[in-house]
Amino acid sequence: MKKSWIGIISLGVFACSCSPDPANSKIRIRYMAWGNPEQMALEEQLCEQFNDANPDIYVKFLKVPGTAYANKSVVMLASDTAPDVMRVDHYNFANLQKKDFFMDLTDLAKSDPGWKKEDFFPQTIDEGMVNGRLFGLNVLFGGTVIYYNKTLILRAGIEDPYALWQRKQWTYDKFVETAVTLTKKDSQGRYSQFGVSIPTFPSWTPFLFGFGGDFLNEDHTASRLSDPKTVAGLQFIADLRYKHVCAPTPAQGANSAFTFESGKLGMTIDWMGMTPRYRKAVKDFDWDVVPMPTGPVSGETIVKGNQLVIPKHCKNPAAAWRFARFITSEKTEQLLYVKNRRCFPTRKSVANSPAFLDSTLAPTQIHIFLDAVKGGKQLPIDDRWSEWTTTMNNELDNLWSGKERDAKVVAERAAKAVDKVLTEEPGW
Amino acid sequence: MSKRSRRRWVDRQEFWGFLFICPWLIGFLIFTLGPMISSFVLSLYKYDLANAKFVGGENYRRLFTQDPLFWKSLKNTVLYAVLTVPLGVLGSLLIAMLLNQPVKGVRLYRTLFYLPSMVPAVASALVWQWVFNADNGILNQGLAFLGLPNIEWLQNEKYTLFAFVLMSLWGIGGQRMIIFLAGLQGISESYYEAARLDGAGTWSQFRHITLPCLSPVMFFNMVLGLVGAFQVFTSAYIMTSGGPNNASLFYSLYIFRNAFEYFKMGKASAMAWILFAILLIFTLIQFAVSKRWVHYEGESK
Repeated sequence: MKKSWIGIISLGVFACSCSPDPANSKIRIRYMAWGNPEQMALEEQLCEQFNDANPDIYVKFLKVPGTAYANKSVVMLASDTAPDVMRVDHYNFANLQKKDFFMDLTDLAKSDPGWKKEDFFPQTIDEGMVNGRLFGLNVLFGGTVIYYNKTLILRAGIEDPYALWQRKQWTYDKFVETAVTLTKKDSQGRYSQFGVSIPTFPSWTPFLFGFGGDFLNEDHTASRLSDPKTVAGLQFIADLRYKHVCAPTPAQGANSAFTFESGKLGMTIDWMGMTPRYRKAVKDFDWDVVPMPTGPVSGETIVKGNQLVIPKHCKNPAAAWRFARFITSEKTEQLLYVKNRRCFPTRKSVANSPAFLDSTLAPTQIHIFLDAVKGGKQLPIDDRWSEWTTTMNNELDNLWSGKERDAKVVAERAAKAVDKVLTEEPGW
Repeated sequence: MSKRSRRRWVDRQEFWGFLFICPWLIGFLIFTLGPMISSFVLSLYKYDLANAKFVGGENYRRLFTQDPLFWKSLKNTVLYAVLTVPLGVLGSLLIAMLLNQPVKGVRLYRTLFYLPSMVPAVASALVWQWVFNADNGILNQGLAFLGLPNIEWLQNEKYTLFAFVLMSLWGIGGQRMIIFLAGLQGISESYYEAARLDGAGTWSQFRHITLPCLSPVMFFNMVLGLVGAFQVFTSAYIMTSGGPNNASLFYSLYIFRNAFEYFKMGKASAMAWILFAILLIFTLIQFAVSKRWVHYEGESK
């Protein structure tokens, strides 16, 4: 009896070991990314397309939940078990690159006749470069714009921000005026509608640029938070809440009480990648996009992507490069950014193509994306970004919560705290 | 080895004892003791996952002398522990006593009171975010009903820590309550009968029978409660991310931030060992003090 069981188990093991392996005799590489289910489904589809078109390579797609992604990728990189190609959030890119975890892609790019950096928006190339060498290929790129509720604007009888922008009158004053007009209270005196919401960090950064301010100096050795221009930008943001009362306080906005999708918000500042979500969720009002208003100094928005990297110890760099190239190819960008509007193309040809600029669905003013990116400014993301921004944001909490109304006082404290982080030796 | 001596070895109780705890023992050695030792070694290094440099006790020195957030996170955590442990233990005892009453449907009540502790920490944190909502939260609606002003529980740093204390009380019907209930049911009814015959009232019975008989259980719950309170993490990570202005930056959250956001593995390991030392000291103090108030049945004094 015992022998017959052993025989059955052995047969089973043999049968399993003989089952056809689709990846047999191919170069196997692994690709890791995170995203919402829609994004994951698209990337799965891309892996299948790549596998079909490349009979010598088999890509296995590793899906990791966004909440665990940063930790998992760090541990994998540190233990030399990272996949051959992985997406890294640009916020972590500089830090991980400094630890020498990524392969220098410069020579791979140079030896590839199909890859030309002129094909891409310059900021997308800059983000992946460190000291003149290429370490990442940009994906899921984009900038922040203002999404606005056209129905509320029409109902309030005020001029459409897009028309104001076309006439070059979309200024900070007009922005505040629009937000104040769109703020409403119900019969019990409670706010039922706000003109704008103050976005989470770093999406409010354009207001700093608008006054000529910034977070750090050029070589990232000192903070510029206490610079009067930066203070003016911070004060402008806080005033939306506490002076003009056209943006919800953290308590009023808690638990997503005033989201754009709910129709209770006139304008929201958000990334271009929000388009698919709003298209899906917004049913009962018209909406569109308009650039950030022009401040006393500029109307620049921020741009940021994520990086496709090949870990330094990748055993199949040529195959990994081919896959990374496929993910950033024109065909892929057409699927991701034109057909599905996930984010903004990194390739100029795709962003300027009639297919991208011709939108029948909202946002119809899609060329705004293109203009915003052209004039978009990169965030000062460096290897200590996480540390100094956490320190800064802890201080700025006092301004955003209304505990302190004078931006200068908070900015000076924040500048001191950030300077302390920047001047101390990293790693302690 | 002769057959006889082998049998003798196999016959020994210790052999079977070790054999049965083997899975746990191996797990403990590999997944607990091993990482503990390596984290101690790491605490003596400046280590950022890529480069390691031996620095001796420098991580510890810098934490104590140059890191205000270390002290702030410690203060937040101690305050949280000081408030939640006694309140939690008393609350659990109270519920256990209520659920020990011979009333109809007591089993259903026990199940219902235990239910909150079955909810995953992440889900309960999300629910509590709604409870604490300044505009529409049930807590502020209750305050408004009493004519009291709204409180920005999670947005105003004055109240954030208390919000977490309040939230921790949601778990008083959990495991701790079950342990108290088991303890209560282990007290012989004959003690109460004798006391009643001597004319002891309810309070007197509680004071002189229930409390002394429950003291070992209470001691156990206090020790575990303190360890749990010092390790509070999930709720703050999800609900406030340590804010506003670090008001809910608990010790474990700061360890996590240093390790996985700033990659300061040496510093994070040093913090973990300081936490270990703090817990050890508190537990030893509890053990020392316990001799005065914990009574074990059959103990001769």
